[in-house]
Amino acid sequence: MNEITQLFINVDWNEMATASLDTLTMLGASLVFTVVLGLPLGILLFLTSPDQLLARPRLYAALSVIVNILRSLPFVILLIIMIPLTVLLIGTSIGVGGAIPPLVVGAAPFFARLVENVLREVDRGVVEASQSMGASTRQIIVFVLLPEALPGLIGAITVTTVALVGYTAMSGVIGGGGLGDLAVRYGYQRFQTDVMVVTVALLLVLVQILQSTGDRLVRHFSRK
Amino acid sequence: MIEVANLEKHYQADGRRVKALDAVSLSIAEGDIFGIIGRSGAGKSTLIRCLNLLERPEQGQVLLNGVDLTLLDSRDLQHTRRRIGMVFQHFNLLSSRSVAGNIRFPLELAGELDNAAMDARVTELLELVGLTAQRDSFPGQLSGGQKQRVGIARALANHPEVLLCDEATSALDPETTDAILALLADINRRLKLTIVLITHEMRVIRTLCDRVAVIEGGRIVESGEVIEVFLHPQHEVTRKLLAETGFYQEASQQAWRQHVQGPLLKLTFVGAPTLNPVLDEVSREHSVRFNLVNGTLADIKGTPFGQLLVSVVSSGLSLERLQQVFVDKGVHCEVQA
Repeated sequence: MNEITQLFINVDWNEMATASLDTLTMLGASLVFTVVLGLPLGILLFLTSPDQLLARPRLYAALSVIVNILRSLPFVILLIIMIPLTVLLIGTSIGVGGAIPPLVVGAAPFFARLVENVLREVDRGVVEASQSMGASTRQIIVFVLLPEALPGLIGAITVTTVALVGYTAMSGVIGGGGLGDLAVRYGYQRFQTDVMVVTVALLLVLVQILQSTGDRLVRHFSRK
Repeated sequence: MIEVANLEKHYQADGRRVKALDAVSLSIAEGDIFGIIGRSGAGKSTLIRCLNLLERPEQGQVLLNGVDLTLLDSRDLQHTRRRIGMVFQHFNLLSSRSVAGNIRFPLELAGELDNAAMDARVTELLELVGLTAQRDSFPGQLSGGQKQRVGIARALANHPEVLLCDEATSALDPETTDAILALLADINRRLKLTIVLITHEMRVIRTLCDRVAVIEGGRIVESGEVIEVFLHPQHEVTRKLLAETGFYQEASQQAWRQHVQGPLLKLTFVGAPTLNPVLDEVSREHSVRFNLVNGTLADIKGTPFGQLLVSVVSSGLSLERLQQVFVDKGVHCEVQA
């Protein structure tokens, strides 16, 4: 026992616990906003794309360009560009709160694209059958597209969550708090390799848990 | 009941504008089973999809009980569509819902019944299509025939006035096809429901339909009562479709024609004469010797129907007299080249 404590001499376990909790808070909050913003955006992308229910080629092209621009920005750059907007929204650009707006802006377009692709996989015939039964577009979205795409949507949420774990770690660069922050401040700037190892291990475990939970949910809801 | 007037529709294929429907007009009577037959690409799928405006014709009218669907706004169209059931070739069931959930779906969309009434209606429909035991199964666990039964129950849920069948049996094996056709005939009889179906199989037309329209290149080339069309096909396409199922053999085009001596008679039997030994009677009464070369016997929606090709080897009667003898016995007789 003593030897193990010796091995992680620089690790302050209390601080590690706080940082882990911060990471989970950032992850949870940013995931909620990512889904709240990204799901409607993804549905809109899908519906306005050519040959779909609300085909609007120009609107689709415009949305598509915006999504592509946001997705092509490296997240580190986005963190910096977002600072004024974050201050406006949250009142600060650092800490757990300050990390959330850039996380959402980074992940929502990515998630929206995934949603668009998942909806594209829904059998067109089923949508057509619903139309033949007199379903309105709203009814088709709520009762057909989303339930039929549910396993795919859960898969998309899982992928997005894992990506967000990476982003939260990166937000440590601008003092975002959480495990990434710890890794940067102690592991990198003070050459405390043991802190680095522990944070990386914790992130790894987190990603594993998220992915296997997501996979299990997808299996549970798949009927094919 | 349904009146279609001058439908026109084009589609783009490889950058060219192709006519899918060309001045199509149809009149479908209440309670009829109306079949539209054609080869793939003839425009039959576009035509049936125009009947509930899943595809919008560029010109023309689609009247359901006098109301032109093409003039309705989207809300009224949605309401009208609830009175038009549709069954699809690939079933198009919701994979995330159980059998009962799928049948319940159109009831939920209409929103006119409370939960108990919807459940009662689902039970009724499950009995009608014989799927009571599969109530809680999911589509992924069903056979093709069972899936189509769910599709039919779903289409009937809102008490439609018309049932549209888009190649409803084309994805099924022959035995299952027969079972589904029997179910449709039963529904037509019991609910007095008008059915419009499209198919590429004459067999479907023969066993189920009262009237038929033949479509080719986006045009209706022939239409009428099924028995009339089978007896006296006017158009080349109809003859070919019939010949594939063994009917309407053109003797002159058969390889064996040159080996068969004597004049050929094509005898067509409809109804009672089909079951009489007409050929034997004529042979005995008039000392005529026949050589039977080809024949088919079937029934068209319950009416026995047969066609024989016979060569006259020797006869005491002239061909005209012989023809009259057959006509007197209720058999249609044509002299073939």
